[in-house]
Amino acid sequence: MKITNKFNSLFPAVMAAALLSLGISQGAVASKWDAKMTPDEVEATLDKKFAEGQYSPKGADSCLMCHGKSEKVMDLFKGVHGAADSSKSPMAGLQCEACHGPMGKHNRGGKEPMIAFGPDSTLSAEKQNSVCMSCHKDDKRMAWNGGHHDNADVACASCHSVHTDKDPVLSKNTEMEICTSCHTKQKADMNKRSSHPMKWAQMVCSDCHNPHGTLSDSDLVKPSVNDTCYECHAEKRGPKLWEHAPVTENCVTCHNPHGSVNEGMLKTRAPQLCQQCHASDGHASNAYMGNTDQGSSVGGNAFTGGRSCLNCHNQIHGSNHPSGKLFQR
Amino acid sequence: MKFKLNVVTLALIANAGFAIPGMALADGYGIQNANTEKVKFDKWACKRCKIETGVNGTIGAGVGYNDSDDIRSANAFAAENEFVGKVDADVSYISESGYRASIEAQNLGMENGRLDLESGKVGQHKLSLNYRQIATYKTDKAMSPYQGVGGDHLTLPDNWQTAGSSQDMSELYSSLNPLELSLKRKRAGIGFEYQGEELWSTYVNYQREDKTGLKQASGSFFNQSMMLAEPVDYTTDTVEAGIKLKGDNWFTALAYSGSSFKNQYSQLTFDNAFNPTFGAQTQGTMALDPDNEAHTVSLMGQYTAGSTIMSGRVHYGQMSQDQALVTSGYGYQTPVDALDAKVDMKGANLKVVSRINRTVRVNASYDYSDRDNKTNVEEWTQISINSTTGKVAYNTPYDFTTQRAKLGADFRLSRGMKLEAGYDFRRDERSYQDRETTDENTLWTKFRLSAFDNWDMWIKGSYGERDGSEYQASEWTSSESNSLLRKYNLADRQRTMVEARISHTPVDALTIDFGGRYALDDYNETQIGLTESQDISYDISASYLINDDMMVNAFYNRQNIDSEQAGSNNFGAPNWFGLVEDQVDVIGAGFSYNNLLEKKLRLGVDYTYSDSSSNTQVQQGLSGDYGDYYAKVHNVNVYGQYQATDKMALRLDYKMEKYKDNDPGNSIAPDGIWNLVGFGYNSHDYNAHLIMLSMSYKL
Repeated sequence: MKITNKFNSLFPAVMAAALLSLGISQGAVASKWDAKMTPDEVEATLDKKFAEGQYSPKGADSCLMCHGKSEKVMDLFKGVHGAADSSKSPMAGLQCEACHGPMGKHNRGGKEPMIAFGPDSTLSAEKQNSVCMSCHKDDKRMAWNGGHHDNADVACASCHSVHTDKDPVLSKNTEMEICTSCHTKQKADMNKRSSHPMKWAQMVCSDCHNPHGTLSDSDLVKPSVNDTCYECHAEKRGPKLWEHAPVTENCVTCHNPHGSVNEGMLKTRAPQLCQQCHASDGHASNAYMGNTDQGSSVGGNAFTGGRSCLNCHNQIHGSNHPSGKLFQR
Repeated sequence: MKFKLNVVTLALIANAGFAIPGMALADGYGIQNANTEKVKFDKWACKRCKIETGVNGTIGAGVGYNDSDDIRSANAFAAENEFVGKVDADVSYISESGYRASIEAQNLGMENGRLDLESGKVGQHKLSLNYRQIATYKTDKAMSPYQGVGGDHLTLPDNWQTAGSSQDMSELYSSLNPLELSLKRKRAGIGFEYQGEELWSTYVNYQREDKTGLKQASGSFFNQSMMLAEPVDYTTDTVEAGIKLKGDNWFTALAYSGSSFKNQYSQLTFDNAFNPTFGAQTQGTMALDPDNEAHTVSLMGQYTAGSTIMSGRVHYGQMSQDQALVTSGYGYQTPVDALDAKVDMKGANLKVVSRINRTVRVNASYDYSDRDNKTNVEEWTQISINSTTGKVAYNTPYDFTTQRAKLGADFRLSRGMKLEAGYDFRRDERSYQDRETTDENTLWTKFRLSAFDNWDMWIKGSYGERDGSEYQASEWTSSESNSLLRKYNLADRQRTMVEARISHTPVDALTIDFGGRYALDDYNETQIGLTESQDISYDISASYLINDDMMVNAFYNRQNIDSEQAGSNNFGAPNWFGLVEDQVDVIGAGFSYNNLLEKKLRLGVDYTYSDSSSNTQVQQGLSGDYGDYYAKVHNVNVYGQYQATDKMALRLDYKMEKYKDNDPGNSIAPDGIWNLVGFGYNSHDYNAHLIMLSMSYKL
């Protein structure tokens, strides 16, 4: 999927929805130098400039001589990246050039490349991100390198904006739109019969996943699937006296947290789901036919009707009752 | 804009590499690598930097009318009552000295309201307060004869007449009352963060969540069962705290996370609606989720050495539960008064990513996780639920150990052409289960091509095989299990997956995406149990900027999941077969028109439709099915926003939800099944509307 182009079209819409009244200008324009140089030439020039370190004579004041007219550029000062009073902000250090690299001869007509970010930058995501990651080094981003989005060449600026008072992706309402613009399967999942309340943004992707990568499976925010689920479903944590093995091992053995055609996000309805693992001598081994022309119906008996197996084995997530071995009490 | 790589550029890159000795290309443009020798910082006055101080942002309020006869619509509208009101705010304050504060409120007053307050100085300290509500609604028409709903003692009316069959319960229909199955979480939190001048920072966050409502449960005696409303009144306190240290090329953090869960109700007692059978029980008691605690300490770190990045984490945690056991109506001695259950959780992760050169990057990781249930094994007498006598059973505290190793590499063959490949290994070890060890080996590869103008595409494929130690189907089961059974989470499995996506941008304003995915899980050694599961899906989406003001987008997704299973009712070879066919269609479309009426009006419409259906068939000589099992939902949101003055905007929203679902297994009367007292017909069919007028004012 082409992240850059997708965001090119998505972003104006998202920004407009979130920040209409603030009058954010739409659409970026490819840089001047891209017309005359190949991306590799641009990159080589930037590498050279970065090593040479020809920074501007007056820092931001030099840059804003020309760029100060742009509302988008000046919007930097509304956000934390423009906070000149903080020792940790780029504005307290190399200012604009902290991120965009040394000015060099760029001020002579703007033809010499600077480090550019976002959908229209031809610079590789890895190079763009090296700028952001040099400051944003913490426990929430330590697994970025080699992680899912890094491997997919997603640039920080594909999702984030710093030239704004409020980064739209950090708003819960827009987060879903941005994630599902690539993760279409999950977009469909949350519209199924049952799902976590993501369709209406009561929950968002980042409640469970860290888009910057983690050392856990599927970039989950906790070390395991179950630990992630227990964050909200602490009552299932136990440990209980009678454990149901797949429940304690992995919630997704039976549930699809993104959504399902069944109630309760179950992968398959009962009794079929239960019968995929239980074939003891007796009622668990019988074929439950549902509606047949012999007169039986799916709603006509307690094995298939009502809550099916759960009519009796209600405590399927485990029981703490002394006599709860079969999860009935 | 894209360019194909040619020989000239390759040469140029090579030269550039030579021209800058000592500079590792892969290091990028990190601030710590900046060559600042020549910078004359004393001249950098930042006079043109305009930091606006004072208060700015928007505040707003809205009122709405909600027309719905089914509480389920509140999932979409966040409105339970006929009239709703809300407050929105997005206000920030910056002082001359650099102090910042912000208030963000969204739908405050509605069932999905949210409030976030922050204050502090950038890069120094931050205090935050937050509130969030999450509400989910199932039905408000569940019918129950029980009294005391909402509490932990459910009784039947004094004049209740028990019977051997629900159809013969003479007082059933006159005793029915509707109840609402819904759950509401209210979360409030406070957090503080402090950053030192150099190197270190620390944080602490506390959150309390109250979850209340009713959920569906069942209480049973022998083979007779009653649906019950289980009270939910949970309080969960969570604390997260940590300290972080970082330098130019390293980072480390020590973190603690603790959670304490309290359930207001430890048990649920209920009257038996049926004639007492074995054990002559007229009242039953089930244990509700016990209070518990979990604590985890983790230490993580990262070190960057040139183009190699190493990350690691170790964690140790414990989950414990020591609630007094439920003994009402049990009648036997318990070996202990409370279980004193303890589970130790240990984990270690190590990951290395290294860029070998411009083209090749390799990664390797190893993960270890261990769940060690230290709860004592004791002897527990089971209440006889049938004609056989009460048996003694031993609890089985499950242990799990998982090890995973991954090895991968990615190759940038040229600009716009990337190949990735990897090998994943996973070993799971389990106690008290049919199979002690399973091993899974998976190979995968992905190729991405974005070298052609306006096209971007990738294809990914993987193949994995799982096998393991000897499978013993009846080793730990209470009654003999069919020896041909292979539980699908332990069974041998061959897993194939292929996925591809193509994105095309014929003109700047138009993007078309197409993707497809095929996945097959073949449980190749399974005769009884889940034998095969196939998941095929595709989606197509397009978005088009008609002009600067108009945008249209559309989305379609189709998914089919087919699962096959087999069983045997004569405890031998498979003699019945099940097939479950799930099908999901999702359609979405949106249109927005900006800058109408002298750039003051914005109009838009969003529509989604989804149809989830599932068809279950079982064959044993004759064949049967589980009827029409579906959920269909249309959602429309039409909105108009009018900028009445420079400061004030008005917005009108119309939302519609048309929802219909069915489950023939639950489309039954409370006495529809002889040995069940149910909640009654629980399907939905409604058309709900919400009109909301809101105004926002720019400060």
